[in-house]
This record gives sequence, C-alpha cells and structure tokens, in this order.
Amino acid sequence: MAEAGRVLDVAGVSKRFGALEVLTDISFQVEKGETVCVLGPSGSGKSTLLRCINWLERPDAGQIYLNGSQIGVNGAGLVMSDRELSRIRTRIGMVFQHFALWPHLTVLQNLMEAPVQVQKRPKAEVRDEALALLAKVGLSDKRDSFPAKLSGGQKQRVGIARALAMRPDLLLFDEPTSALDPELVGEVLVVMRELAHEGMTMVVVTHEMGFARDAATRILFLDRGRVVETAMPERFFSSPETERARQFIQRYAGHAANGGR
Amino acid sequence: MSAGDVLAILRGAVVTVTLSLTGILIGLPIGLGLAVLRWADVPVVARIVAVYVSILRATPLVTLLLLLFFALPNIGIAIGPISAAILALVMNTAAFNCEVWRASLMNFPKDQYEAAQSVGMSAPLRFRRIVLPQIARTSLPGLVNEMSLLIKVTPVLAVVGVVDITRAAVRIGAETYDPLPPFLVAVALYAPIVFALVSLQRWIERRQIMAEAAA
Amino acid sequence: MIHDFGIVWSERDLLLTGLGNTTILSVLSAAAALLIGFVLTPALMSKQRWLAGGVRGFVDGMRCVPFLLFAYIVYYGLPSLGIRLDNWTSGLLALTIYNAAYMAEILRGAWTAQPREPIEAGVAFGFSNIALFRRIVLPPLLLAAGPVIGNQIIQIIKDSAFLTIIALPELTHAASSIQSRHYVPFAAFITAVFLYWGLCLVIEAGVSSIDRLAAARR
Repeated sequence: MAEAGRVLDVAGVSKRFGALEVLTDISFQVEKGETVCVLGPSGSGKSTLLRCINWLERPDAGQIYLNGSQIGVNGAGLVMSDRELSRIRTRIGMVFQHFALWPHLTVLQNLMEAPVQVQKRPKAEVRDEALALLAKVGLSDKRDSFPAKLSGGQKQRVGIARALAMRPDLLLFDEPTSALDPELVGEVLVVMRELAHEGMTMVVVTHEMGFARDAATRILFLDRGRVVETAMPERFFSSPETERARQFIQRYAGHAANGGR
Repeated sequence: MSAGDVLAILRGAVVTVTLSLTGILIGLPIGLGLAVLRWADVPVVARIVAVYVSILRATPLVTLLLLLFFALPNIGIAIGPISAAILALVMNTAAFNCEVWRASLMNFPKDQYEAAQSVGMSAPLRFRRIVLPQIARTSLPGLVNEMSLLIKVTPVLAVVGVVDITRAAVRIGAETYDPLPPFLVAVALYAPIVFALVSLQRWIERRQIMAEAAA
Repeated sequence: MIHDFGIVWSERDLLLTGLGNTTILSVLSAAAALLIGFVLTPALMSKQRWLAGGVRGFVDGMRCVPFLLFAYIVYYGLPSLGIRLDNWTSGLLALTIYNAAYMAEILRGAWTAQPREPIEAGVAFGFSNIALFRRIVLPPLLLAAGPVIGNQIIQIIKDSAFLTIIALPELTHAASSIQSRHYVPFAAFITAVFLYWGLCLVIEAGVSSIDRLAAARR
C-alpha cells in the first residue's frame, strides 16, 4: 500500500452512529502537496470523515493509511493502543471549528505544549520554531496572551500555527471558518491559501466555495455519507457531473452551473 | 431497641423540627435585614454587618453554641439550653441567609428600581412592592439550600443537652449498649427531611429556569 | 475580662495544639476527599448503570445525613460490627468519607461545565491517559472549581469542630477544656472563634489567588 508520495489512503471506510449510517464505503487518496477540499450539504458526514482519519471517531469498516502505515490497527491486526494511536496522531495536524485552544496556556505555550510533552522535542528548538510560526501567521505580539483575549480569527490562526508546530505530514481542517464572523474569515483563509501554495498536504472540510475554487487541487463532494463526485475544482464548479453536485453548487454559489440544466 | 425507644427518638424529632423551624423563620427576616443594611451601604453599620457575617460564616456551630451557652451566664445573662440553641441557630443561619439575599439584591436590575423611583414611589414602598417580591423569588433556591444545611447541623444541640433526634439516639445507644440501631433510626428520620428539602430546591430551580426560558 | 484573656494566653500551647490538630485534620481529609472525589466522579458519570447508581446513592446519602451523626456512627456504631477505631482515625475517616461525596459532586459539576473541544484537541495532538489528564484536563478544571472547592474546605474546617464530641483534641475541644478548668468561657471561645476566622481567611486568600489566575484566562 505504500506508494511513494501518497500521504493518505482511505479505503472503504464506513461509520454508523446507532442505526444511522453516516459514512458508506468512502475511498479516496491524497498525494503529497495536494489540497483536497471536502464539500457537501450539512449532515453529509464531512466532519465525521475527517475525524475518522485520525481515529477521533473509530471507523466501523475500511482501512486508513498514513504514508503507508495503517492507522488504528497495528501490525498484528489488533486495534491500536492509545500509545500507538498517539504516535500516529502526532503526524497528523488538526484545526478545529471552534479553535479548541487550551485556555489555561498562553498562545506560545499552546504551540509548544504538544511538541514538548508528546513529541519530546527539546524546548529551545520548539520555542524557536513556535516563534517563527507565530510570525508566519502574523501573531508575534500575542504570544503571551491567553486565548480568551483573542478574536475568533486570531484564535484560529493560533490553531493553525499550533498544528504546524507538530511538523505534521498531513493537516486536517474541520470547517475552520464556520464559527467566525464574516469579516474575520479572510485573515484565516489567507494563511490557509499560503499553506496550500507552499505544498502542505491538506484535507479541508469547508463551506468556503471561493477557497475551494482557488486553493484546492481536488474537490471531494459528499452527500449523505457517500462520495458522489470527485474532480478538479475548475471542472467541478463549471460542469458538475451529478445532479446532487449541481444542486449543491447552485444553492451555495448562487449561480446556475453551466452545461447541464 | 423497643417501641418505647423508637418513640423517644420520635419525640426528639419533634424537638429537631420545632427548633429548626424556629431558627429558619427567625433567621430569614434577620438575614434579609442584614443584607439590606449592606446593600444600602449604611455607614459604619454596613461594615459591622460585613464583619459579623464573615466571622459567623467561618465559625463552627458547635463553637458558637458553647460560647453562648457558657459565656452568657458568665456575664449575667441567664440562658438555658433551648434558648442558647435557638440563638446559635439564628445567628448562624442569618449570616448565611444574608449572603443569599445580598446576591439577589446585587443582581437586581437597576432600571426597575429607577422606574419605581421615577413614578414617585417612596423607598419603603419601592422595596415592599417592587424589590422584595422579585428577590424573594431569586433567593428561594439558596434559602431552601440553607434550610437543608440548618437541619443537618441541629445535632449539635445535643452537645448542650437538648434532646433532639441525635441525643435521643445517643442516650438509647448508651443504655442498651447497642448504638447502631438507634443511630440508623436517626438517619432514617433526618434523611427524608433533608431529601425533601433538597428535592424542593431542585424543583424550584427547574421551574425558575423554565419560567425564564418562556419569558 | 483582661484577666480572663490572660488565663487563655497562659494556655496558649493547648490552643495552638488544638489549632494545629484542626488544621492537620482539615488539610488531610480535604486532600483525601478530593483524591477520592477524582475517583468517584468518573464512576458517577459512568455508563455502567450499577456503578453510576451506586455512587449516586452514596453521594446523595452523605448529603442527607448530618455530619455529627455520621461521626457518631463511625466512632460508636462501627464497634458493633467489630470495627473499633480510635478517635483520630474515626474522625479522619468520617470527615474524609463524608466530604468525598461533596467533592465528587463538585467535580462532576465542574467537569460537565467544561468545553469538550480543547480536550479532543489534546487527543488529536497525541496526548493520552495521564499526560492528557494532567496537562489538558486538570488545570482548567481546577481553575474553574477552585472557589467551590475552597468553600468545601471551609466547611471541612467547621465540621472538624464537631469531632470534639468524640474527644478529639482539636481547637473547640481545647477551648472547652480551658473554659471548664478555668471558668473563662467568653475569653476561651471567642479566641477559638477568631482562630477559626483566621483559618478561613487563609483559605479565602488561597481561593482569591486561584481566582486571579482563572480571571486572567477567562
């Protein structure tokens, strides 16, 4: 399963909550440097899919591979221990819808906490990197502030920097701008666009069509738990193949998709 | 344990309930008075009340009771166990009630008060008809909580010889050399009363949340 | 009156020993109650009905029983079942068990008020088990629950006075002893009252510092 350059391999993943089948037979691959945007109506299972990738939710069926190593099941075919899971999770960064910053730590401490405590990297090195990342997202002056004192946009930029501090192979974004006031969305998208441009491997669940159109290398369209369509953004937005995708784009993008109706 | 023993404990229950009720009924208005004094910031008095409340809330009831029971006769005030008991209960619960009332007063919406002023209501009238009904409502859960706490400290009265549930149980245990059964009867008497009060408090809180949601 | 306080002053060793015992008793049982509370709280919220129900019964039970009665039961009642404990052990045990129930309830309340996402972020970043608890879960929990735990500690200090009935040489017992031997009830007990007040002011100062830390992060 280890193909050079393939960062993420999702094969036949299904997940149900009680009687409700939230994900059915999801399969896709992400190559290094790709930015895959996962789009779809509410309830389509987008967030659940993301959370299955790092096993925050445990898939009921299917396999997931990060750089060739399977996530969740170890070499002996048994479910991974917390320790083994922890090791894999440190290679996957996650950015949360509601930021999820640790409230008792300053911004700088938030960035340094996991690299020092989980990855056991030397403090001085982690600190230098953290300061550089804060500069990168434009928040150097907030390094000693507590998260509660920041705006939503600032918190999310810290969230992104915190994920980057782990030097992850893959970055997962769970609706990163959905909880932001409209005027704060831009500052976060700028950072995300730059990351995509720099070649970060990203899977982004979002409602921001503009970002998907400009920054994605591929669109994954989910509806009711299934991958309905997957295409390059240009083609997806201008001439979607399926009716569901067409309806979705119409509703969200506010204009008729050409070539179809 | 004989039926007579159980009866003795039940008689103690009457004493427990009577003294508790007395303490609660006297303590409520006094607590309100103390709270108003602090809220109105009456010079000097407000500070005295603040210090009094602080000390009383830090003082164990048993220490207070012993102080009153032994010290008052010493300075010329004759006091029996029941009176000392009631006095201790009232002093204690008034201090805690004061804080409950005060929290309600501090959270009272200022604009309502100003509206009453602007229609020319006098201060006593303002208080009686506008402030009091509403703070009574918001204070209710805290006051009921304090009532359940008061009942739980009444066993201390046994220390000065008042024959409440606990002292009756202790006495029977000493006489029969079998202390566990009367203690368990005592628990069986206290628990329902406290439980009823705690349930009442939760019910009041639920109703208030629903009323607020509907508003 | 001055003379009376003079007598109390001459007995200050006894009073200070009493104060020391009250402090030791309170600190030990508060710490133990809190630790047991940390064990009980997850049980309280467990999905296993029997476990959650059992602990809930214990917690509600302790909150419906007067502490003095409970102390009596531990000291005088247990011997009927063959367990004979001295007054120190009984006192410590009674204080600890009784307040463990309250601590469990306090921690449960504080836990349910905590947002889930930062903890989930901890898991996503690779924290597990002890490290997750110690560095991600516990600090915000303690900052939030600080004032309530502080109040409970004050309650423990006051409950410890009840143990005078089982002849534990704590502060109230010391004051009683002084008053019964020298007939200086006012001076003796007022001094005790002020010493209790002092203890509580120390706890409240501690709570204020924790609250300051919490406020900076709110």
